[in-house]
This record gives sequence, C-alpha cells and structure tokens, in this order.
Amino acid sequence: MSFFEESRRIEALVFILFTLYPLTLNFFFGYFSMMFAFTLSLFEWDILTPMRFVGLRNFYEMFLEIAKGFHELITSPTLVYLREPFFNGLKNILIYTAMVVPVQTLLALVLAVIGNQKIRGSHFFRVAYFLPATTCPVIVSLIFIWLFMKDGFINYFVSALTAGFKPDWLNDPNFLLPAIAIVAIWGTSAHFSVTFLAGLQALPREVYEAARIDGANAFNRFVHITMPLLKPLITYVVVLGTIGALQMFDLAWVMAGSGGGPGGAGYTIALDIYNTAFIQLRYGYAAAKAVLLFAIIFTLNYYVQKKLEFARVV
Amino acid sequence: MDKGRSVYTLLYVFFAYTIMSILALIYLMPFVRSIFASFMTWAQASAYPPQWIPNPFTLENYLKLFRLSYFPRWVLNTVFVSALIVAANTVTASMAGYAFAILRFPRKELLFSALLTLLMVPPFITLIPNFILVTKLGLIDNLLGLALLGSASVSGIYLMRQYYLSFGKELFEAARIDGADPLKSFFYVALPLSKPALGALAIYQFLGSWNAFLGPLVFLRSVENFTLPVGLNFAFSRNMWTEYTPIIAGSLIASAPTIILYVLLNKYMIKGTVVSAKKG
Repeated sequence: MSFFEESRRIEALVFILFTLYPLTLNFFFGYFSMMFAFTLSLFEWDILTPMRFVGLRNFYEMFLEIAKGFHELITSPTLVYLREPFFNGLKNILIYTAMVVPVQTLLALVLAVIGNQKIRGSHFFRVAYFLPATTCPVIVSLIFIWLFMKDGFINYFVSALTAGFKPDWLNDPNFLLPAIAIVAIWGTSAHFSVTFLAGLQALPREVYEAARIDGANAFNRFVHITMPLLKPLITYVVVLGTIGALQMFDLAWVMAGSGGGPGGAGYTIALDIYNTAFIQLRYGYAAAKAVLLFAIIFTLNYYVQKKLEFARVV
Repeated sequence: MDKGRSVYTLLYVFFAYTIMSILALIYLMPFVRSIFASFMTWAQASAYPPQWIPNPFTLENYLKLFRLSYFPRWVLNTVFVSALIVAANTVTASMAGYAFAILRFPRKELLFSALLTLLMVPPFITLIPNFILVTKLGLIDNLLGLALLGSASVSGIYLMRQYYLSFGKELFEAARIDGADPLKSFFYVALPLSKPALGALAIYQFLGSWNAFLGPLVFLRSVENFTLPVGLNFAFSRNMWTEYTPIIAGSLIASAPTIILYVLLNKYMIKGTVVSAKKG
C-alpha cells in the first residue's frame, strides 16, 4: 500500500471517529424521530395499549375541527375555545404572529440603526438593548406577570397616558394576547437587533461616502441606500420571526397557563400539541397536528435557506 | 466648521441621546424594577402607585427561596445540566467541525448537508417521538437524559466548521506535509487556534441550556429534578408562595448568570453572531 493510500485511510478513520457520535445522535433523534412522527400520525396510541392504525383519520379530524371552528367563529364565537381548541390555537397564533412580527422587525431595525451611531457610549446602549434576549422567556414572563397586574407597574403608566384606563391584562380575554405579544416583542426585537447590527456594519462604506459627496442627507441615505441593501436581511428576520412566533410556547404556558387562560385567549398550537400528547395521551393525533406545524415551518425555513442563502443564526 | 453646522450637530447628538436613553430605559426597566422589588415586602412591591425605595429593606425573599429545599436543588440541577452540555458540545463540535472542514471522506458534503437540514426541523415534530424514545431508553426524569439530547448540537458543529474553514486549507496542508497525521494536526494545530470559537460556542450552549424550558418540561417529571425555569414556573403555578416577591427574587437569581456573562463577554457574543450570520 502506498503512503498516499495509507494517509487517506487514516484520514477516513479519523473522520469516522470524530463524527460518529454527533451523526448517530442527531440522525437518531432527528431523522428517525421525524419518520416516527410521520408514522405515528397515522395511528391512535396512548403508549399503554397497542398502536392502532387509523390511516388518515387524525388528519381528517384535524381539518374537520378547523372547518367547524370557522363555522363557530361566525355562529357562537364565545364557545370556540371550549369546543375547538385546536382551531382556537391556530386562530390565536395567526393573530399573535401578525401583531409581533412587524413590530419586532421595525423595532429591531431602529435599535440597530441607533446602536450603530458612532457616539460616545453607544456600546453601553447596545448592551442594554440586547439584555432581554439573554434572559430565559419563562423568567421574563414571570416578571412580566407581576408588571402586568391590574394595579401594577405597567398600568401605572398606561392609566397616566390614557387618563385612567386600566386594563386587567392577564384576566381580560381581549388583553391577554396583546400582553403576551408585548413581552415577546420586548425580547425578540432585542435579539434581532444584533442581526441587523451585524448587517449594518457589513455595508460597504464607499457607497455612503459617494452619496455624502453627492449631497444626500442622512434620511435620504437611509431610505435610498441602507434600506435596499438591508432588504435580504429584513426578509430573513421577518421569516425567522414568523417561524419563532408560530411555535410560541413558553410565554403562553407561563402567562396564560396550559389551558390558554381566560376565554382561551392565550392558547396556541404549540400548547395544543403538548396538551393533546401529554395530557390527553393521544400521541397519534398530537403527531398529526405537529406534522401540520412542521409543514408550515419547514416550508418557510426552506425558503430562507434556499432563496436567501443565509445561514441560520446560532 | 461653521457655526450653523455645529448647532445642527449638537441638536442631532442631543436628539440621538434622548431616544437612546428612552429605549434603554424601556429595555432595562423590568430588570431594574425587579432588583428593587426583590428587597421589598410583597405589600410594598404591590403598592399603587409603585414605590422605589425598599422600606423596610428585607432579604427575606432570598432567604425564603433557600429555606425551601427544592430551590437549591433546582440551581444545582441547572448548573449540572448546563455544565454537561457545554462540556460535551465543546468536544463534539470541535471534533466534528474539524472533520467536516478539513478531512477528506467520500460523500462528506452530503453527510454535512443532511446534518444541517435538521436545523430546519421545528422542535415540535420530534418532541413526541423523542419523549417516547427517551422513555424506552429509561432516561425519562433523568438529568443525564436531558444532557444526552443536547450533547452534540448541529449549530455548534456548523459554527466550528465555519471557523476552521476561515483559516484556509493551506495551514492544514502544511501540517500534513510536515508529517502530522489528522489527529496530530487536530490537537496541535486546530485546537490551539480555536479558543475564540470555542469560547463563543460555550457561551451560546450555556445560554441555550440554562434558559431551556420545553425540553426540561417534557423530559423531567419529579420536582427535585427540575431545572430553574421549570421549577420557578412550578412554584408560581402551585402557589408555593402566597406573595410574589420570592418569585421575583428567584427570577433574578435564575437570570443573573446569563446577564453577568453577557455583560462581561458581549463583544465575543456579538462577534459570534456576526460570524454565524454571514453567508454560509
């Protein structure tokens, strides 16, 4: 055997040695689990009794629930959360996503632009803005429950600004979801501002110099140079934010409770999957719901990875 | 510079500082308010309008936490799981990242993209099967089982691979010509150079595992095995304290390590985000 072949063989051996554990672990708990979930979605199973093949009945039941939910939304909207929890979760998470994503993207952009100013002390401000992103969402929610109390800190300012209007954020079905959205925006805008900051710092300086010489003011430079150059990054943050929002679990779990709080206003798909699996012990049906969520999120993710060719932020 | 220009600049700076401070206040307020309230009695912390100076100043909230035998357990559990996950990931990610970046192997790129694709998979699809698998492995309600699941993260491997690729192949080819086998070149060339990347990796893994909620919630069963986020939420929802101030104090203790780490190391963390946000 030649020296060349020998070294190739050693390299291959070391490669196997170095990657065997991560590949086995991730493929087992990733791909195998995924196939298991797809299979499981065709069964009815409570772990204790043998699995029972039901074909597409879980999916049929799920779509029936969505259809019935639409019907009830028109006829008796107050009972939707009791009768069709999955539909209620779907409805809430769509409203929630529509509330959170635009605001968090805009705020993150503003924070990044402000943090990118070459001003003394901007480092301190950057640290301050990112701090919420380092803290656990559950812990943050626990603190916000206290801040959102009827006679709490937030209402002190709300009532001052609105001349005495004091919503009972967490016990009023109309205000529960907005309250959760506010906490989410507070945390995720901080997180995404770093992504924008990185993007801003990578922008070519020459273009700005040229525009300055041509007499463009700061506002024009932002609208005509920064925004177009940042467009791919904005799309990236919007899609990633949507993916995160659709899977929201921790905030709802803590702030609304596993049942979704008053009027089921804080119920989400993620909570419903958890409840269907671990409370009702209908693992097959829960898997079918997870497959639907998977289809939506995988498609979005695929779009980001392929179209924008941006690697995911760790 | 003429006078009009400098007035304009001054105004601009003033305006910028005002907006920056208002935003900083909004983003820091929940922490600041909690720190003050953690030294108050519940009666004072829930007073309306809000009060700021603790009167009487009390450490009772913190003492209450540590009088409860569960709370110190939760802290230890979280430290234990996070330490295991950070340690396991620095080993697995540096080795696998090096292998995927430098070593030649048939179908290597295919294997790597198969691994990366897993990043696109939402956790909820694998949650139920993994729960069943972990149960069958006998690792349910076991902190080791939790650490096992997080012991080789794909994002960590990706980060390390990007880092090794950034050196260029020449460095490792030179080592090869000098007679270093792949193992030697890993231990004597790659590892000594990877301190900054390993640091970023460790920080991110620590943040992730310290703050994790869904995993611990599903895979842990008994109260003494809980991690801090699960435990505090449990304490809150079971009304273990009738007043709220111990929860606030507990929340501060739970978030202190990640906040301190961030304040000390934010330069490296932002750099790490920049590195991994670049085109892959």
